[in-house]
Amino acid sequence: MTAIAALPDDVARVALDLPLRANLSALDNIALIPLYQRHYGASESTRQAQAMLDQLGHADIALLRDPDMTPAQRFVTKLARALILKRPRLVIDRPGAMLYDVPYPAFIQLLAAQNSMSGIWEIFDFSWNQVLYHQALHSE
Amino acid sequence: MNFLVASIESLGAKLAGWFTVGYDTFAFLAQASLLLLDRTTWNHATFNVVIKQVYFTAVQILHVFLGYSLVISWLIISIILSTARDFGLTAFASEMTIRVLVLELLPFLTALFIALRSGSAINTEVALMQVNNELDALAHCKVPPMQFEFLPRLIGGVISVVALSGLAGLSALLLAFLSIYGMNMAGFESFTQTMAKIFDFRIVAGLLVKCTLFGLAVTLIPVTAGLETPKKLFMVPVSVLRGMMRVFFAIVAIEVVSLALKYI
Repeated sequence: MTAIAALPDDVARVALDLPLRANLSALDNIALIPLYQRHYGASESTRQAQAMLDQLGHADIALLRDPDMTPAQRFVTKLARALILKRPRLVIDRPGAMLYDVPYPAFIQLLAAQNSMSGIWEIFDFSWNQVLYHQALHSE
Repeated sequence: MNFLVASIESLGAKLAGWFTVGYDTFAFLAQASLLLLDRTTWNHATFNVVIKQVYFTAVQILHVFLGYSLVISWLIISIILSTARDFGLTAFASEMTIRVLVLELLPFLTALFIALRSGSAINTEVALMQVNNELDALAHCKVPPMQFEFLPRLIGGVISVVALSGLAGLSALLLAFLSIYGMNMAGFESFTQTMAKIFDFRIVAGLLVKCTLFGLAVTLIPVTAGLETPKKLFMVPVSVLRGMMRVFFAIVAIEVVSLALKYI
């Protein structure tokens, strides 16, 4: 866990301890990044956020707020928020704590396989969960 | 002896606590004021959040607020008029009405109204954001919480209190005129002369400053109280309780100082 805490600024994290803004929709949570970091207008930021959700195959969750999402939908929104940061590395921190409603190695693999998902994705997980990743890889 | 030492220690801890709270609040205000002067703060995003805050704080409750202020104004005007008639001081009724209602009571009640409705909500929301790590998440995404979350609330609070106090004051003036002179325009000149006599530059500036301070008190204190919340969910009600008590004392202190400056 100390390794995660010491991660540099150029890493985008998807983690249980980095939640979404509860009173904003999935779309607004993602659109915040282009709006505040790159100073795009509201409509362009929303368009970019929607494009990111489309790319991940979850366009339908755009208007949901955090409490109305399933764990998988929440994870996808966090992932989209991390991806739109456009940082060179993406770290998924203990995915089992966030994705307890789906077989998560296969689910993450599916998301990563979507079109134009670039950059390095790293998963930090407990060693005893390694078997789950092996199973997901061998089931292909 | 032990009791005395314990009492002194407890008093010292309380004083130190109050000093820390006061220092943190003013430091936060200074930081917000500096950001307010920064050109980069005024982007589309911050502006949109300010508009939303003004809508939620002032526009959404406008009909309820106007109804409430009209009922209170009508009651106070009726009391003043009947008392003035009893004592043969009808000539001073309009001046009394303006001084009591427009300059003192309505801004005070507006601040209390906004504090109860929006101040408590802001305190709870900021405390929950603090407890749930939402502020850390925003910081990780390099979205500045001060520009995105706090500054728009401060600006929205100040604009709302000033605008609602102004609106309540104007409606009270209209109500006072109708109560004193009825639909007869004969008293219009005398009423406007009384208004002109009362509303000199010093009074108008003082009223604006007071409303601005009220607006700051009902937003700044809840935000800082929310940020002080330890990361434990059961501390959220305690944070709101502390924040709202501080807001109440701040509003009363501003009103008392304003009265003292005007009349002593």
